[in-house]
Amino acid sequence: MNDLFIDVDYAQIYKSGQKIGGDVFLLSRNPEREQIVCTLSDGLGSGVKANVLASLTAHMAHKLSFSEMDLTHSAKIIMNTLPVCKERKISYATFTIVDIRHPSLDDIQVNLVEYDNPQALLFRDSKPIVWQREKILLHREGAFKKEELSRSSLQMAVGDRLIVFSDGATQAGMGKALPLGWRLEGVREFAQHQIERNPSISSHDLSRAIARKANGLDRLASKDDITVMVVYVRRPRRTLVVTGPPFTKEKDEILGEKLRNFEGKKIISGGTTALIVSRLFNKKLKVDLSCWSADVPPVSIMEGFDLVTEGMLTLSKVATALEQKKSLRTLPNDAVRKFVALMMDSDQVHFIVGTKINEAHQDPSIPVEIGIRRTIIGRLRKALEDNYLKETSQEYL
Amino acid sequence: MAKREKVAVKICVGTACFVQGGADLLLYDEFLDPIVLANCEIEGVSCLGKCKEAGSKEGAPFVQIGDVVHGDMTEKKFCDLVAEAVHA
Repeated sequence: MNDLFIDVDYAQIYKSGQKIGGDVFLLSRNPEREQIVCTLSDGLGSGVKANVLASLTAHMAHKLSFSEMDLTHSAKIIMNTLPVCKERKISYATFTIVDIRHPSLDDIQVNLVEYDNPQALLFRDSKPIVWQREKILLHREGAFKKEELSRSSLQMAVGDRLIVFSDGATQAGMGKALPLGWRLEGVREFAQHQIERNPSISSHDLSRAIARKANGLDRLASKDDITVMVVYVRRPRRTLVVTGPPFTKEKDEILGEKLRNFEGKKIISGGTTALIVSRLFNKKLKVDLSCWSADVPPVSIMEGFDLVTEGMLTLSKVATALEQKKSLRTLPNDAVRKFVALMMDSDQVHFIVGTKINEAHQDPSIPVEIGIRRTIIGRLRKALEDNYLKETSQEYL
Repeated sequence: MAKREKVAVKICVGTACFVQGGADLLLYDEFLDPIVLANCEIEGVSCLGKCKEAGSKEGAPFVQIGDVVHGDMTEKKFCDLVAEAVHA
């Protein structure tokens, strides 16, 4: 499995009273060429007009980035295609293109082209990094000034974060809480503080925190669309799910070895499996009766393991929840919810499936929903990959 | 009078037991006599392993009271057996 994970997410708050945004964010991954392109475009004004312009720009930028063409050249084409506002004599949309190529763990190349958006920020862990930008001047017909395009190449490493945002963030609070707005410095300080407080904060959480803060500075009625995008390079978060006892007793030790050597979160799903593991590791297994549910048996607690649940019933309910993309908030507080929460928090999930048949489940009086372990694991993997873009793998024991 | 030791009761929450009535037994707070409840220590157990024994006359759900495992447990049977063990 891949040793690198590039976590990209964005948060967006529309201008107060608008139902459509004038900022457009696009993200595409091309796994074959190990390339990720994200584009943020801010259309002039707000509402429908701005949205059309920004979409147009973002899509052009996006398509051109995936071509063989040099990024500066593509940016020039976009600039020349963009209409110029008759009254204000300025361009109709601004954009930032982040083109990430990651052929290997220590070679993550980022090409950044910025046009009139606030400057992007780079953090190495929680330390802000300043880098050189190459300026390209363009003169367009009808525009009253020369347009300045800036381009730079960066090398990113594990632990780095690149934050790109629209002027809705830097100008938040202007004329109210802050006479000159939040400004680049304000965003930088806030982001740094957030990362220091929680060094492994996900792109999802960080982008939301910044956007919410900006909206707060505008007294919850933002004056412009606020869009914040975060690219976070990190090691994948791994989870191991062990379900079912190994086919023969001799293989129990192999299971123990695999569990011991695994780095990441560990889930045991299955009563008998839990007993085997508790014996192998000499750890006490305690059923937590504090949460009762009619659908799934309660979870157990064992030191060194993140979650211990019953097997087939829980797994099939988890598969159903993931297939239906159920939100965590709507699930009752039981084993299924805890399982789903751990799945959402992982990038890579590895399943070790024991192949021993449980004689007790062959009883005809047992509901049919207790199917075959393999089928359920298949459903789980498909849902994780298709609905949540997780990487999964599996082995039989 | 020396204080009596509480009776250890273990309710199986394995798949087979849970779907065949074990889930309801976990709500023992609601149907067990409070005096009996005060005199026993009830906990869940991930699997008692009884359901896999070939030729067993009794079926799930299983509950262990003291050292004995009882099968085909119902609420009434549970109350009677636990009360019996507590008053013994």
